[in-house]
Amino acid sequence: MKKIVYVALIILAMFVFSCKQMNSKAKKGIVVLSPEVAEIICALDAEEDIIGITAECNYPSSLQQKKVVGSFSVIDKEAIIALNPELVFCSSLEQESVALDLKNLGYSVEVIYPKSIMEMLSAIERIGILIDRKEQATKQISQMKQEILNIKENSIGKTRPKVYLEIYRNPLMSVSDASFIGELIETAGGDNIFPTLERDYARINPEAVIAAKPDIMICYSQDTLENIINRKGWLNIPAIQNRKIYFEKEINPDLIQRATPRCIQGMKQLASIFDSWRKEQ
Amino acid sequence: MKKTLFWILFFLTGLAVIIAYLFIGKPNTNIITQVRIPRLLLTLFTGMALAGIGSIYQLMLANPLAEPYILGISSGAAFGSIVLGITGFIMLMPIGGFIGAGLTMLLVWKLAHHRGRFDKTRLLIAGVIVGMFFASGISLIMYLHQQDTALILGTLMGNLGHIFTKNEWISFLFLFSVSLLILIYLYFKSTAIDILSNGDLYAASLGINVLALRKQIFVLTSIVIGISVAYAGIIGFVGLIIPHIIRFFVPSGQKNIYLLSLWTGGIFLLACDMLAKHLLSMELPVGIITSFIGCPFFMWLLLKRDN
Repeated sequence: MKKIVYVALIILAMFVFSCKQMNSKAKKGIVVLSPEVAEIICALDAEEDIIGITAECNYPSSLQQKKVVGSFSVIDKEAIIALNPELVFCSSLEQESVALDLKNLGYSVEVIYPKSIMEMLSAIERIGILIDRKEQATKQISQMKQEILNIKENSIGKTRPKVYLEIYRNPLMSVSDASFIGELIETAGGDNIFPTLERDYARINPEAVIAAKPDIMICYSQDTLENIINRKGWLNIPAIQNRKIYFEKEINPDLIQRATPRCIQGMKQLASIFDSWRKEQ
Repeated sequence: MKKTLFWILFFLTGLAVIIAYLFIGKPNTNIITQVRIPRLLLTLFTGMALAGIGSIYQLMLANPLAEPYILGISSGAAFGSIVLGITGFIMLMPIGGFIGAGLTMLLVWKLAHHRGRFDKTRLLIAGVIVGMFFASGISLIMYLHQQDTALILGTLMGNLGHIFTKNEWISFLFLFSVSLLILIYLYFKSTAIDILSNGDLYAASLGINVLALRKQIFVLTSIVIGISVAYAGIIGFVGLIIPHIIRFFVPSGQKNIYLLSLWTGGIFLLACDMLAKHLLSMELPVGIITSFIGCPFFMWLLLKRDN
């Protein structure tokens, strides 16, 4: 009996001591779980360093050749470990628990979730330092700052159209100024009809949209023009009367929803929509 | 005399809630006629249907926990409408809800029979099991389609802010009229349900066709619940507690209990929806408000009665 206990203990000890990290190869490359960070890294000329992405990382399209380690909310940790990256970039929200798990496994993990233009600029700086592209980052930031300044100047002193952005149809949801997209609308010279909401993206009362009389509607809720026109009580809204309704095909949501260098392009598109509205006034 | 005054006051309070609901916040005529009146109708109808049918189920199934959702019909309806919602047919969600309710109803009804005989307990168990099945289906969809969480939560927590297009409004009015006729018809069945609650044998000896009556009530209520869930989602509490509250004041007589349940359920839901719209600048799901206000009130009633 005693013998069996000894043998069992020895086997147990062997198991315990064999549980050290097997992967002694040097860690290399970057895994990006956030589509925003993937865009920023590529904008800093470091696309070749990326070895893994999530399914949502769709820009630039050349990223498609990289290994996919899951989708934004369902991440395959084993796939990341197999890639053995030097650095992992996560977003916030549902990715935070993955970030913690990977940290516990000994990986260096960076959580980046910019919620405003300023935060985006400092995120670019931080990414530049981490991936050794400091120079490109500084250049990118100063370029973007200049562009933002130009966009702001373009709308100074001009009338600001009231903008309603619909991100969901049932229930109705919109964005506040505290959201990234809300800030872009304001910066591009528009006036978001829901400046303050308890959450950045929140359910809203349809009456409030009718009462606010928005001049421009941006519709990302997959609804059709015909249905919007036929919504009960919505016909008196100027945006609907004048058919100032813009869908995904007119303004790509990724350009204004993602905090990346492409948001400059998005703001320019918004500004030109606002300009064309002003001309008709 | 005192009693009459109480009921008059009770009725006037309801009217006041309706008026406040329509006119709060100085809306213009367009908002009142195009947005508020449709929402008022949907809310009143939902509250009435839930509370009225709750009162019938509690009596008929001889179970104080019975409520319109206990037979799984709501989960089936929610599942049907969510499936259509996430596949991009948002306009057709009510139809999905209706089909879901219908299929669930047939399944539960089939399961409730043992060797061709109806069994109350089997009905409840079947309802709970089928409801669980669809609830897990909804959870699966929610897990796989996280971008549509808002739609799914809207259905699970109640959403009275349905935006009608003109065609949708016409189809709603039609379904609304059908439901109203069913609710009126059920009123005239109150006495029979009262008798039925004393046992099948007793009811049969009084000349009631028990099997036919039960089947009829089950089918009709399922139709109304299916319509209500399809448009407003699942709104908890109203169907369970409103009939109990009414029974505190009117202990017996299904006719009166049913009528008062209809009225109180409708008005209660209107008041809750008003709060849901105005408490914060973003709209809250009405299902949260109903339970949050209703439950403490019911606890208070329970304590008060003990004293």
